[in-house]
Amino acid sequence: MRFGKLRRGLRESAAVRLARIVGGLSRRLRLGGGSSAPGLVVGRVDPGFVERRAAALPDGIIVVSGTNGKTTTTSMIRAILRDAGIETVSNESGANLLRGIATAFLDAPATATAGVFEIDEAWLVRMVPLLKPNVMVLTNVFRDQLDRFGEAESVAALLARAAAALPVTSSVVANADDPLLWYAVRDRDPVGFGVRPLGDIEGSHRGDAEPETCPKCGAQLSYTVRTIAHLGQVVCEACGWMSAAPEVNARILSAEGLDTVTLQVDEATLVLPVGGIHNAYNAAAAIAATGIAGVPVLRAATSLEHFRPRFGRSEEFMVDGRPVRLVLCKNPAGASVVIREMAADPRVGAVVVSVSDQIADGRDISWIWDADHERLAAMGVPIVPSGRRAADVAVRLKYAGATPAPAEPDPIDAIRSALARCPAGKATVVLATYTAMLDVRRAVSRSRSQRLVDSMPSPS
Amino acid sequence: MSADLHLVHLYPDLLRTYGDRGNIVALQKRAEWRGFAVEITSVSRGDAVPTDASLILIGGGSDRVQEIIGPDILARGPELANAASHGVVVLGVCGGYQLLGHEYVAADGTAIQGLGLLDVTTGTGRGRIIGRVNARAQIDGRTFDLVGFENHGGRTRLGSGATTLAVVPKGQGNNGVDRTEGAVQGSFFGTYLHGPVLPANPELADALLERALAKRLDGEPLKPLDDSLEEAAHRESRHRRR
Repeated sequence: MRFGKLRRGLRESAAVRLARIVGGLSRRLRLGGGSSAPGLVVGRVDPGFVERRAAALPDGIIVVSGTNGKTTTTSMIRAILRDAGIETVSNESGANLLRGIATAFLDAPATATAGVFEIDEAWLVRMVPLLKPNVMVLTNVFRDQLDRFGEAESVAALLARAAAALPVTSSVVANADDPLLWYAVRDRDPVGFGVRPLGDIEGSHRGDAEPETCPKCGAQLSYTVRTIAHLGQVVCEACGWMSAAPEVNARILSAEGLDTVTLQVDEATLVLPVGGIHNAYNAAAAIAATGIAGVPVLRAATSLEHFRPRFGRSEEFMVDGRPVRLVLCKNPAGASVVIREMAADPRVGAVVVSVSDQIADGRDISWIWDADHERLAAMGVPIVPSGRRAADVAVRLKYAGATPAPAEPDPIDAIRSALARCPAGKATVVLATYTAMLDVRRAVSRSRSQRLVDSMPSPS
Repeated sequence: MSADLHLVHLYPDLLRTYGDRGNIVALQKRAEWRGFAVEITSVSRGDAVPTDASLILIGGGSDRVQEIIGPDILARGPELANAASHGVVVLGVCGGYQLLGHEYVAADGTAIQGLGLLDVTTGTGRGRIIGRVNARAQIDGRTFDLVGFENHGGRTRLGSGATTLAVVPKGQGNNGVDRTEGAVQGSFFGTYLHGPVLPANPELADALLERALAKRLDGEPLKPLDDSLEEAAHRESRHRRR
């Protein structure tokens, strides 16, 4: 018995040492951010590693999954817990498969007592038995990477299976404004969160929404509140099914483009330092999840006022001495929301649209036709197509009514082209898919004439 | 005064999985750039198809959604057949293509009856067919290359009434066996090149436009457009390795 434990200890320490070496090498050789390779190694040498480390966390584990908002919500939860005195293990850089989580445990501070992990939708059902999370946060279901996930219904079913596999004492936090998702997990008696928008609701029948049909009977749904794409409060006039009223409701009081959004949640009013209705959802999800962990709304709200976005989710850096903002856009709903915020922001002077089609982006980029590039074109600012599919972006922009600048597949060339077209005093914004975002970060940190501002997180 | 080109999008609220709107945008712009007036009508469950339609687009949807629209679309058989007999072009993309056929068997084995307007039948196969496609199409005596992406579980076989839209040197096409892709029968067109197949393939868009605008063109060919951006994207797609 004791020998077994000793042997396991030796095996773990050997695995951990080996993995650290791999991580250092991977970073030094610029093979990647070093956020996956070490975990891959430790998983091979010591398969029980993640499960043991997870079980050893006394304050439990929160997992975050769903199509959009995983990384930001995870970051927000972590920030709230940190202020509440709970140090966490987390895969904040968005490496959200098993190996990314193993790497997070390898890099975990010794003082960490809880875990906050974002998990890929397809991996969630496999990760639940290993992590035995106390709280599962489900953000939303949009079509994303159809070549990998299939249709939105399949993703909702995957999340529901994962929720069903949770320990009975665990809680589910789910988006009450997402009819397909809410219906899929209704048996787990979820804690709902939602957003109430400012003023008029956005018109329906946009291409970026999922079909607005009743998840129970298939009839057309009526919206009483609409926020983003198919998200909102609905009622089915055919069968009577309706959205649940969210327990944590973020009411938008005012919005200032990509910069800030002011929210009211219960008695708390907070100025969230990241703009957009999508971030209002992320904040509501984080407040709901940490509420279950015992953090009062007012304290969570105060923490979020100091929140800093992470890893490509709206980061700012300098190129040739001028500010450039990088925003991740990986599916039509996400892109349309960001475009909407941008169009409301008069300080935007030029835009780069960077689309790649690596496995992590989804090889199929049909979705760019569902995103609201028409609104982007109507802004009348210079737009530079970029990424591996720059030529297709140029075609999309042309049909949206823009006259795009020449396509520049290379990220730095594209940013320089945009900066040259951007009026003085205005900002250049880069919208990028996942690997295009990584390419931009890599190129910016490699190029010597650029200085990364302090707020930029290190890539691991 | 009615428009020169009346585009009808069937179930845009339901069949819109893969950027299907791109096809409407491509037809609209390519007609407008040539000086034609364009009208676009969305037709959903319970709405009638306008009698002066020039082209009807049916996009792709999930299995659940295809089941939901089943009863409504089946009732449209005579409406669509009548339109097509007057030269109205009907294009079914991916799920829309399957629904134009006799029958479509979903991944879970449920048989969904189709319209039977295209002489094709769709059954199941092992796994989904997902990936890039390079194809060679032949329409109205013209031959050109098609590029696109396919993602379908169904395997479609052509009956004797339909001819293939294209052959696939790269990709799986209708069924992964006979190298055919899509189908043509009179005014009915079907393809598995999903979503924005027309902006990616301006020659296909123009072939359909030429038919839909036949009365206005009166035998004249469409004016050429500056397609340099489209051609650059097409060229890159053709030479992409995977």
